[in-house]
Amino acid sequence: MTIDDRDKLIDRAARALSPLPVVHPQAVARIAAAVRARRAARPSRITLVLESMREPTLSYASASFLAAAALVLGFVSRGALKVLDGGSSELTSTAEMPVPNAAVTAVPAANSRDAAAAVSVPLVLEADQATSVSVVGDFNDWDPKAAPMTRYGADGPWTASVRVTPGRHTYAFLVDGVRLVADPRAPRTKDVDYGGETSVLMVTTP
Amino acid sequence: MSEIDPAVAIRAKRGEEKAFLEIVDHYYPRCLRFARNMLGNDQDAEEAVQDAFVRVHDSFPRFREDARFDPWLFRILANRCRTLLARSRRHRSLIEYGDVPISAAAPPESEDFGADWAEEVRMVLDSLPAEQREAFLMRHVEDLSYEDIAAATGVGLSALRMRVKRACDALRARLTEVELHDDR
Repeated sequence: MTIDDRDKLIDRAARALSPLPVVHPQAVARIAAAVRARRAARPSRITLVLESMREPTLSYASASFLAAAALVLGFVSRGALKVLDGGSSELTSTAEMPVPNAAVTAVPAANSRDAAAAVSVPLVLEADQATSVSVVGDFNDWDPKAAPMTRYGADGPWTASVRVTPGRHTYAFLVDGVRLVADPRAPRTKDVDYGGETSVLMVTTP
Repeated sequence: MSEIDPAVAIRAKRGEEKAFLEIVDHYYPRCLRFARNMLGNDQDAEEAVQDAFVRVHDSFPRFREDARFDPWLFRILANRCRTLLARSRRHRSLIEYGDVPISAAAPPESEDFGADWAEEVRMVLDSLPAEQREAFLMRHVEDLSYEDIAAATGVGLSALRMRVKRACDALRARLTEVELHDDR
């Protein structure tokens, strides 16, 4: 007998607890309605385009955050050492890096009420083998299509700029549409639903 | 109840609403059974299940397509049940009110020898620590493997086996007493 083998008594107890309850159709309908409402609340593609065209405004808080992000970007660029013809190596700064193929994607905050307070945060990931990367987080309902990243040149880092409201946010990178990767340069937290790791982003109010 | 076709979960993850609702239809009765057995009252159980499905929907982008759906669903559901249990403990510590627990809803003679077997089982189950109740239900009522329960709870296999064993021991001891009473 293994450690939890069912004897007759346990078997009877389990059977007493096993009948499936009757499900009210309204209960399932409530879930369907809640899910549809959440989908409808997501920003439309038109909103995305308009938001990306908006002239960014920079507060002191967002400026300091962007400065920190620029440092991170600079750190990434240190990896972009180019071997010159003479065999010496040269550090390529962000400014010297090739212009991205597409404009950095700007993604609005999920909650339109807070959109005015949202700041734009650039994120960077080095993933040489990836064919696509997107930023997913609580600020975009973990929607893989909401914040696609673009690549600097043919083999540079992946970048995107996401708009987030002040507060604490969790996010991760979705690589090739299947693999969730925490930001190696940000603090991490445990995903309460699945147990994996996500990254933490703190945005302060001006 | 069988596990749903993994292709349905993948379609739901990719945003197909019809696939998501198929999952809700398929799993709702089983989730409600688990939540009722965990929480002991219908209203909290419905709330836990509905919250869990909305969270499943919101978290689908984080669901790995090569992962199994059942443990993931039960992890989210068990989290919701634990949250509601903690809330109801806080409420009970202030004042007894509101919905009547299933175990207490039986007539006064439920403590007599002719009490309904299922009610007796529920009463014993309610008296167990929540983590033992959760492990027992997942193993013996929901028929999850220990590996799946470990994935759903984040608890190691040996600790889970011990929880199930302790729950079984307690059920055996109390239900044997009930049977002896009934035989007299």
